[in-house]
Amino acid sequence: MNKTLRDRAQRLREEVREFCRHEMPAALRDKSHRHQVLDKDDYLQWMRLLDAKGWVVGHWPQAYGGRDWSSLERFVFEDELARHGCPWIIPFGVKYVGPVIYTFGSEEQKRRFLPGIVKTEEFWAQGYSEPGAGSDLAGLRTQAVRDGDHYVVNGQKVWTTYAQWADWLFCLVRTGNDGKPQNGISFLLIDMRSPGVTVKPIHTMDGYHHVNEVWLENVRVPAANLVGEEGAGWTYAKFLLKNERTAGAIVGLAWHVLERLKKLARETTRDGQLLIDQPLMRNRIGEFELRFMALQEVAYQAVESMVEGTDNGGEASLIKVRGTELYQEVAEALVEALGAAGIAYDTAALHSAGLPPLGDDDVGGILKEHFYNRAATVFGGSSEIQRNIVAKAVLGL
Amino acid sequence: MTTDIETISMLRDSLERYTAEQYDFLKRWRVLEQPAGYSAAAWQNYAEFGWLALRLPEEEGGLDGDAVAQGAVMEVVGRRLLMEPLLASALLATGLVVKLGSPGQQAELLPALAEGRLKLALAHEEQLDGQSCWVEAGQLTGAKQGVLHGDAANRLLVTARDERSELQVYLVDATGEGVERQAYRLVDGRRAANLRFFGTPAERLGDEGSPSAADVLATAFDEASVALCAEAFGAASCLLEITNEYLKVRKQFGKPLASNQVLQHRMADLYMLKEEIRALTRTAQQAMLLPAAERGRVVSGARAYICHAARNIANEAIQMHGGIGVTEELEVSHYFRRLMVNAALFGGRDWHFTRFVESTLKSA
Repeated sequence: MNKTLRDRAQRLREEVREFCRHEMPAALRDKSHRHQVLDKDDYLQWMRLLDAKGWVVGHWPQAYGGRDWSSLERFVFEDELARHGCPWIIPFGVKYVGPVIYTFGSEEQKRRFLPGIVKTEEFWAQGYSEPGAGSDLAGLRTQAVRDGDHYVVNGQKVWTTYAQWADWLFCLVRTGNDGKPQNGISFLLIDMRSPGVTVKPIHTMDGYHHVNEVWLENVRVPAANLVGEEGAGWTYAKFLLKNERTAGAIVGLAWHVLERLKKLARETTRDGQLLIDQPLMRNRIGEFELRFMALQEVAYQAVESMVEGTDNGGEASLIKVRGTELYQEVAEALVEALGAAGIAYDTAALHSAGLPPLGDDDVGGILKEHFYNRAATVFGGSSEIQRNIVAKAVLGL
Repeated sequence: MTTDIETISMLRDSLERYTAEQYDFLKRWRVLEQPAGYSAAAWQNYAEFGWLALRLPEEEGGLDGDAVAQGAVMEVVGRRLLMEPLLASALLATGLVVKLGSPGQQAELLPALAEGRLKLALAHEEQLDGQSCWVEAGQLTGAKQGVLHGDAANRLLVTARDERSELQVYLVDATGEGVERQAYRLVDGRRAANLRFFGTPAERLGDEGSPSAADVLATAFDEASVALCAEAFGAASCLLEITNEYLKVRKQFGKPLASNQVLQHRMADLYMLKEEIRALTRTAQQAMLLPAAERGRVVSGARAYICHAARNIANEAIQMHGGIGVTEELEVSHYFRRLMVNAALFGGRDWHFTRFVESTLKSA
């Protein structure tokens, strides 16, 4: 591993740490410390703050306003933010569709869309999954039929995160039915204000509105909003999913909840003894620490091997499976360790400065995280799909 | 101190080439049948290729091999299930002579070690807790157990208390007066010995200029633990390859086992374990350059994880092979038994796990 690259990544980590400690606006830091619900304006402020540092698209090429970060810098950046419990970087523009547009889009599309993504002036959502096409994405049925210089789109998308805020939807649609299901898929950019677009909320068990159904009824989309070639959408979708799986954030998230668990165990006395001194809890935390070390070392070395080009193709799946499993289990242990406070859930406290009914001011947020992260092993390629990938792509089974 | 990367890759290549020709699974059978529990001929070849000088300083004609270089050797030891005392003599005991030995002792011992004439074994573990072996007026009394290659060694390095109750390492003639050796076979076919000393003549390894023996031993045990991580990686990655091939070839219900998703997913889990073993081995090797407390924390963490992960792979390899997996005839059971020994040497999983956890929770 090139020492200059490693030093650059380390410097970036320190800069990010400084930023998290000293430059985060107090209101945002307070909300994120409590794992409270952020609204659209909070995210706008957050993403623009990162843009002011030149970080929000740091992984993009310089020609499009990025910094040409290596995979290692990108990893370190996401890891460090997550360790400090920072808000999520909403990925649909900066991580997903942006790179698809600058890699496969027309000059006109680059000019039209990239600046709005960098500056977070337009919000994006991802139109991939459908009721009949989840892990089996190629089974999607939303139809786009060419009509002059437009496509007419009909169908339904689901699990569309923050569609309620989105200005644009990047959408996989079926433009043909010949041969393999992967053929005949196209990649369209759809204006959410178009007539015929309806967003219906899906309520999740954390009591919050993250995801939606998006109904598309005779939506007219200019043919100029087709990215790349008609029928080649599957190639772009795979390119995008590869970017989706580089998540360094999972290491930082696991670290963050583990630190929170240790803090609780050190401060909580139950049955006359600090939790941290109770043998079962100590063993449990010890096992988590060990698994965290394995995750962190595997992740670092995997990212380095990606930079060097010596990776074997299974690393991203490995990090995702191990990272999300650990993240879930630690959060679960944390909620259990909360005792009575771990089953009291007043969602109002998630939106206001009010204290939860029991426990510290971040308890509601911890529960919210526990509920939501049950989906971490499902979205972005479920753990089972990741194991399929390893078995086929790495082991040749 | 780091060994340069060309030296390491040359070392690895030559070991791999030699063992592929001379130490494949069938040839290894003959070694297993030998009463000594290792091949004296192979040992002489190792000496001729310079591998026994791995741990020697460059001015003594050695390679000054760091943890990464030692790992390159140990990985092959694990892949080929080599039986010779590379870890016990060429790495661990030779390392102690290099770090502790007086100039005179080094001049006498190191060339003999490098040429393969001398095999050393470290006798440390005792049945009762603590160090009950002691030396008075140059005479050693007490008992040691589980000394790996303790019967093949010409001389022994024995840990014992001196007259001031300080821990020292003593050089003892293994075949001389006042030594009783009870040798036996380990589950993987290598040999070990229990030793009893009755006023045995013992020479302290080192002189007034030597560093503290306790510190040197602590480092040496960590070094040996890291070497065992690399051995486990070699053995575990072989098991994964063998099992993967078997699933593609073996047919049941008219189709290859590999076509069953339940087995594909279990193999994916083994791949993940193998990658974790690889990563943690490297992490532990790099940790040998850290201050003692942090070094111990990381090494023990890696060791605890790897012991468990490698044995998991061995268990699953047997299960996925079915009945043939437990036979003497198939390599799988031999890897299984080597990993069993591997996990028991220099502190088992629980010892390392406890050390890791206590140190982690203290430092946070």
